[in-house]
Amino acid sequence: MRAARTAYPLKWRIMDALEGVATAVWPARFRHATPYLMLLPAVLLVGLLVLGLIQIADASLRTLDTTTFQFSDDYSIANFRRALTEPLFLVVAQRSLVAALIVTVVTLVFAFPYAYLMVRTRSPGLRKFLLVALFLPFFIGQVVRAYGWLIILGNQGMVNEALGLVGVAPMRLIYNYPAVLFGLVQYMLPFAVLMLAPALTAIPEELEAAAGSLGANWVRTFIHVVLPLARPGFIGAGVVVLTLSLTDFAVPAILGGGSQDFIANAIYDQFFRTSDQGLGAMLALMLVALGSILVGLVFALFGAGTLAMGRSRA
Amino acid sequence: MKRFKPKISHLSRRTFLQATAALGGASVLGLRGAYAQEPEKPAEIIVRAWGGSWVDSLKAGVSDSFTKMTGIAVRHDLTEDNEIQPKVWAAVAQKRVPPIHINWDTTTNATKSALRGVTEDLSDLPNLANVTDLAKPAGLEGFPIVNTYGYVYVLAYRPEAFPDGPPKSWKDLLDPKFKGRLAFYNDGIGFHFPAQVAGGGKLEDIPGNMQPAWDFITKMKAQQPLLGEDPDFTTWFQNGEIDAACTISTNAREARKNGVKIEWVVPEEGAKFDTDGLWIPKGLPENELYWAKQYINHALTKEAQQVWLDGLGLPGVVPGLTPPKDLVGDPSYPTTEADFKRLIRISSKIQVENESEWFSKFKAIMQG
Repeated sequence: MRAARTAYPLKWRIMDALEGVATAVWPARFRHATPYLMLLPAVLLVGLLVLGLIQIADASLRTLDTTTFQFSDDYSIANFRRALTEPLFLVVAQRSLVAALIVTVVTLVFAFPYAYLMVRTRSPGLRKFLLVALFLPFFIGQVVRAYGWLIILGNQGMVNEALGLVGVAPMRLIYNYPAVLFGLVQYMLPFAVLMLAPALTAIPEELEAAAGSLGANWVRTFIHVVLPLARPGFIGAGVVVLTLSLTDFAVPAILGGGSQDFIANAIYDQFFRTSDQGLGAMLALMLVALGSILVGLVFALFGAGTLAMGRSRA
Repeated sequence: MKRFKPKISHLSRRTFLQATAALGGASVLGLRGAYAQEPEKPAEIIVRAWGGSWVDSLKAGVSDSFTKMTGIAVRHDLTEDNEIQPKVWAAVAQKRVPPIHINWDTTTNATKSALRGVTEDLSDLPNLANVTDLAKPAGLEGFPIVNTYGYVYVLAYRPEAFPDGPPKSWKDLLDPKFKGRLAFYNDGIGFHFPAQVAGGGKLEDIPGNMQPAWDFITKMKAQQPLLGEDPDFTTWFQNGEIDAACTISTNAREARKNGVKIEWVVPEEGAKFDTDGLWIPKGLPENELYWAKQYINHALTKEAQQVWLDGLGLPGVVPGLTPPKDLVGDPSYPTTEADFKRLIRISSKIQVENESEWFSKFKAIMQG
C-alpha cells in the first residue's frame, strides 16, 4: 500500500536529512562540547581583535626612518617615550579624559529623567513619542548630527539669526571646547537612556508606592529608593558613555574648529598626516590601556551594573 | 635624464615605410588610431583626486579628453591623499594590485612614497620633453613623480574686514580685532615658512633654527584661529566665520566664484610656493601601467593643462599657457622671475624629512 504523503511530509524528510548531516559532522559524543561551539563566533571575533592588537603592538615598537619612510627592523621604546614626553600628547590626553568625565556626568543627569519618564509614564502616546525621539538620532550618523550643529550654531546659523532679531551681534558658539562637550552630550544621550531604561524597568513600582505610603515624600523616595536601585543602570550607561566619549573622533574634529583635538584625532594625524604609524600605534595602545583602566576601576568600585547581565553587586 | 625610447631600434626601409604609413593613419584616425597597436585597454582607470572644484577641473581638462581619445573610462577616487597613502603602501608591500592607478598628490606626500620605493618611474613619458623645470621633483632620481602645476599659500581676506586697504604683512593678522576670525591649515602647512620670516628669522636657517617661526605662531595662537582643511576655508569664508586665512589661492578663488567678496595677497614676508603632481604606484598589471602612463602623459599636453589649470587658477608646467583672465598679473599665478622672487620655495627633501616635526610643533602650540 502506498504511504499517505501526509504521514511523512517532505519538510520532515529534509529535517531528518539535515539532522543526519549534523550527526555526521558533529557526532553525539561531542555533545558536551556544543556550548563551546556556540562560543566559537565570539572567540573568532575577539581573536581577530587580539590579532589586530598584537600587530599594533608590534608596529608601536618600530620607529620611522624619514629618509626612506620605512620602519625600523629593531624594537625600541622611542615611540613610548615620545608619547609620554611630548606636550601635545599630554594636552590632548588630558583634554579627552576631562571631557569624557564631564560628558558622562552631564549625560547621566539628562538621561535619567528621560528614561524614568519613558518607563513610568501612563500615557502610551507619550511613551511612543519618547521612544521615537530616542531612536531617531540613531538613524542620523554622528557626522551628520555634528554638521547639523554647525548649521544651527554657526555665525550665520539659526541661533545667531534669532539673537540678531533682538539686537545681539553674532557670537562664536562653535569651534571651542564647550561646543565639543555639547555635541558629545547630545550624541551620548540616547545610549545612556537605552542603558538606563532596563534598570528602571526592573524597579517594581510597588516599592515607590510603599515608600510613599510609609510617609516618604517624592524626593526621599527618589534618593533612598529609586537612585540606589537604578545604580546598575547608571554604571552600565556611565561605562558606555565614558568609553565612547574618550575615544571619539568626529565631534572634536567638526565642532572643535581644529584646536580641540582628542586622542583619536592625534592618532589619526600620526597614521595619515605624518605617516608615522609606529607612533600612531603607540598612542592607540595607550588609549586602549587608559580606557581599560577606567572601566576596570568602575567595575572594581561599583560592579558591572547592567553590563553584568543581572549579576551586579548592587 | 632618461627619455622616451622608441620601440624601433634600427631604421630599415621597410620599417620606415611602416612607420610612415602608421603616422599617416594616425593623423587620419586621430590618436585613437595611434593607440591601435598598444596593450589591451582596461575598462577604466582610477585616479585619486581632491573633491569639489579640484576634481571638476581635472575631469574637464584631463579625464574627459583622455576618455574621448582612448575610450577608457576614468573613475575619480576622492579618498583623501593622506588616507590613500597607507593603503597604497600596504598594497605594494603585500605585492597586491594597488587600489588606484594614479595618485594626484602633493609633491611632499608623493616624495615620501618615492623615497619608500612604491612609485613607478615616469622618465619615459614623451611629453616630458616639453615641460618646464617645475615638473621635475627636486632631489629625486628620475621622475618617480611628475609635478603638474604650482600653487601659492596666499593670505586671503575679506575686503570689508580691511577697510584701510589690503594687508601688507602676516603681522597685520595679529590685530586684536581678528581674534577668532582667522584660519590656518590644521598642521600649519603653508604658514611655517612665512612665519619664520615674520618672526624675524631667515629662510636659510630652515630647518636648523625655526624658533622665530614658532615664536610668531605662538603669537598667532593668541588670536584663536580656526584650523581646518581645504574645503573648510571656502565654507568658512562663505559662512562669514573668518576674515582672513592662509590658504591655497584655489580655495579663495572658489569662494569668490560662489559670490563671496574675497581677495588675496602675497605679503611682504613672502608666501609658500609648492607643487602637486601625479604618480603611479607599483604593482599594476603591465597594460594598466601603460595606460596610466598615457593618462599622465596626456595631462602634460598644453591643451589638457590649459583647461585643467584654468579651473584651478594655477600655473602649469607647459610653456605658453594663458592665465585665466581674472588672474593676469595676480601674485598667486607666478609667471616671471620677479613673481617667483616674492615666493618661498623649500626643497621637498627638507620638507619631507622635517614635516612630521613641524606639524607636531605647530599642533603643540595650537592645541596647548
